[in-house]
Amino acid sequence: MIQLDHVTVRFRIPHERIPTFQEYAIRWLKRRSIQYADFNALNNISFSVEQGETVGIIGPNGAGKSTLLKVIARVIRPTQGRVRLWGRVAPLLELGAGFDYEMTGRENVFLNGAVLGFSRKDMARRLDRIVEFSGIGEFIDAPVRTYSSGMVARLGFAVATDVRPEVLIIDEVLAVGDADFQQKSAARIRKFRETGSTILVVSHSPTSIKALCNRALWLEHGVIRQFGPVDVVVDQYVSG
Amino acid sequence: MTVYDSAQRPPPFVDEFVQLLRYRDLILLMAGNILKNRYKRSLLGVFWMLLNPLLQTIVLAVAFGAMFKSALPDYPVYLLSGLLAWSFITQTTQYAMAVMAGGGGLLKRIYIPRATYVIAVVGNGLVNFLVSILPLAAIVLVFDHPVQASWLFLPVSIVILTIFTLGFALLLSTASVFFTDSIDIYQILVQAFFFLTPIMYPPSALSAELSQLMTLNPFFGLIELFRIPIYANAVPDAGLIASAAALALGTLLAGWTVFTNRADQLAYRL
Repeated sequence: MIQLDHVTVRFRIPHERIPTFQEYAIRWLKRRSIQYADFNALNNISFSVEQGETVGIIGPNGAGKSTLLKVIARVIRPTQGRVRLWGRVAPLLELGAGFDYEMTGRENVFLNGAVLGFSRKDMARRLDRIVEFSGIGEFIDAPVRTYSSGMVARLGFAVATDVRPEVLIIDEVLAVGDADFQQKSAARIRKFRETGSTILVVSHSPTSIKALCNRALWLEHGVIRQFGPVDVVVDQYVSG
Repeated sequence: MTVYDSAQRPPPFVDEFVQLLRYRDLILLMAGNILKNRYKRSLLGVFWMLLNPLLQTIVLAVAFGAMFKSALPDYPVYLLSGLLAWSFITQTTQYAMAVMAGGGGLLKRIYIPRATYVIAVVGNGLVNFLVSILPLAAIVLVFDHPVQASWLFLPVSIVILTIFTLGFALLLSTASVFFTDSIDIYQILVQAFFFLTPIMYPPSALSAELSQLMTLNPFFGLIELFRIPIYANAVPDAGLIASAAALALGTLLAGWTVFTNRADQLAYRL
């Protein structure tokens, strides 16, 4: 279950970039105050998602979709408001985000597992199963820099989804790897849904949102335009 | 079932520590990977860790050895013991700044404890430091410099140096995220302090006024703490130990407080 109460995420954007002491000091000496523009990527958002629900998040670019996922995955903390979440989260935000490309696939399974908060012992036990699901085969002992991007994503997906999470957060990664693997990964996500995982998906594809989700959340300019049954919300979003 | 509540959590000062304990395997892996990556594609591999300090000592000893011949017998022993402590502190902190300013890798993409990188970098620096004691021992043997029980004090020196370096790295890496040019400023300061601190030359080479000022140079005491047991074959006096330990603990406390309180802003800034 996920609950957001009046969540605001505010980025502070200086009108002019002041990344150095030098410029900061010059401005301070000239007694010129620094002008900031506050930009609310999320503006007072409240909603809750029950255990086992699958929610699609839609909206134009810059609506705050990725920020919403990040604030739920605790990558960023809300500026205001409260995010609550029960259960373990598996973030599929960027597959292979924790990979070290100089290391072998096998070493990266441990590294990526540790990034997701699993112990070394835990990963050793699950290694074979992960390698098998990823379909990487003998390349598991080759450096990841020799992998194709599809292989990287497959391995990342296999690590992140090896244990059923209570909450799964997906950012446009449904199309991973080749047709075979896409089916395999979609089947795994469906299985999670059937066994009670809560799933949040950001996607620009109305078809995949409709196929996977039972509710949809339409974001625009950091506020919720609509939140309701997937067919209703997606149809309204598409039509205008 | 684990619950995450953004509004209710222990103070960052405590929370970060708890999270780091949970992610300890990640820290170990990262520290190991820094080491592996650094030497993976080189011919001599890890031997560079041993060769580097030796070559550095030879160059400096040839250049300056004659100058301090009378004041500092077994000059290479004096030089390398000071140099190792100095390099440990400065290279580790510079590396930590570069890693954090360089985007902190994962910090804006996935949740990991914010201090993971800094601690992994310091851990890696410590391993380098420990390994480089081997070439130091080799030089001690070559020059037939006496070895006494005072070497047994070195673990204490190393712990104090590591505590200081960790705290300093936390402070500096926070600064590097908020002000990019703090990296350049620090680099210049490191160069300046390399000459302002008696590493290549004996403290006695300084004028009386400068010697007075040296009590304000935080690096001096730390380097002495490591060098005295090796070069002078003595346990540093209690005043030096106490002030170095107080400096180290104070720096760690300050670094940890500043870092953990700013940690939430890191993902916004990176």
